[in-house]
Amino acid sequence: MIEIFQNLFSPPRHMILLVISMWLGLTLAERRSQRHGISSEDLNNVSFYGLLAFVIGGRLLYVIENISAFIKSPLSIFSINPTLFDTVGGIVVAVIAVLVYSQNKELNNWSVFDSLTPLFAVISIGLGLSHLAAKTAFGISTTLPWGIEMWNETRHPVQIYETLASFLLLGLLWRFKQNLQPGITFLIFAALTAFANLFLQTFRADYTPMFNTIRQEQVLLWFVMLACFIAIETQLNKNIQTSESKTG
Amino acid sequence: MNRTQRTILYILVLITGAAWIALSPLKDGSISAGSAPQTGFTAPDFTLTSITGEDITLSELKGQAVLVNVWATWCPPCKAEMPAMEKVYNEYKDQGFVVLAVNSTFQDTSENILPFTKEYGLTFPVLLDKTGKVTANYQVRSLPSSFFINRQGIITEVVIGGPMSEALLRTRIEEALK
Repeated sequence: MIEIFQNLFSPPRHMILLVISMWLGLTLAERRSQRHGISSEDLNNVSFYGLLAFVIGGRLLYVIENISAFIKSPLSIFSINPTLFDTVGGIVVAVIAVLVYSQNKELNNWSVFDSLTPLFAVISIGLGLSHLAAKTAFGISTTLPWGIEMWNETRHPVQIYETLASFLLLGLLWRFKQNLQPGITFLIFAALTAFANLFLQTFRADYTPMFNTIRQEQVLLWFVMLACFIAIETQLNKNIQTSESKTG
Repeated sequence: MNRTQRTILYILVLITGAAWIALSPLKDGSISAGSAPQTGFTAPDFTLTSITGEDITLSELKGQAVLVNVWATWCPPCKAEMPAMEKVYNEYKDQGFVVLAVNSTFQDTSENILPFTKEYGLTFPVLLDKTGKVTANYQVRSLPSSFFINRQGIITEVVIGGPMSEALLRTRIEEALK
């Protein structure tokens, strides 16, 4: 079964899974956007500009980081190869684009991120499946009965764990109450995603050691959780102060 | 949930997370010491005969950065990336960079290979995978597939599909040459 799936979506076709998840995620996000006070049109626009900024920003930052290679062949900037890309840089540029759009349209930034959360949740599922198809982000060896054969060993099916965790988070997200304050949906999702990945990272074979004792990725995820908790409290306090000043 | 309850929850989650990080063992050689056609693994070894009749063994090139490019004459992206590969090969060969262009001969027309290399003026070794064993060992499902191997014989990058641009080749070669 897994082998058929991997043959069907072997690289570079694994990218199809990401595109499908993006489309499904946007469809789901549209259905919930009104709940956060964001119209479908604004959601589609913000997604479009965010995606555009991600693609252009990720490529441009990669070019700047490797400028000596591109000076010799400037046309490579337009190469269709997706590996010439700075993912983290792309995300940062996309977030900036979303914030700029929100401010121009006088939308609440946090509500915009809340409305985009189903999109992020479905993309997480797509990412897990694309890892499985491309046999990347693979697990450490195991003797457990559910281990899968990958790269000459029976390994933890981390990609499947990752996909299942993302499905669970999407299900949880779908059950959230309507009256959560702005930003809380997104921040809880981000904190839970960080927690799930911090847990699953233990089973991954590809990691960056830190002080020869711990995994750098887990430390980063721990700080993401901490930042989410601080942001949740800040948002809740802000909302309490706003409602107090209204009633006062 | 009031603020105190939330604070307790945050602290519990953060302590659990920190404990999990501390208890997660770093497995020596989690990426197996064995060979596999994947980033971080030792590149699977092979010996193939080139179009000039010379036997070339990958493991004998240890100490040099190697690009193993699996291709066929009928494959348009393979053709498209050949000039860039030839150009960067000439640029980096003095620094210890080698291109092994493995022709997937078992799924190609062998008479077309020599005219192809002449047409593109290829000066790097073109190897013939007549049985398809190397293509199978490298789990090649799409042509072209490229494997960048560092001086220690470890795969540093796998690029599936093409064409690879000059900039991509340069960034990956410089990484492999480190």
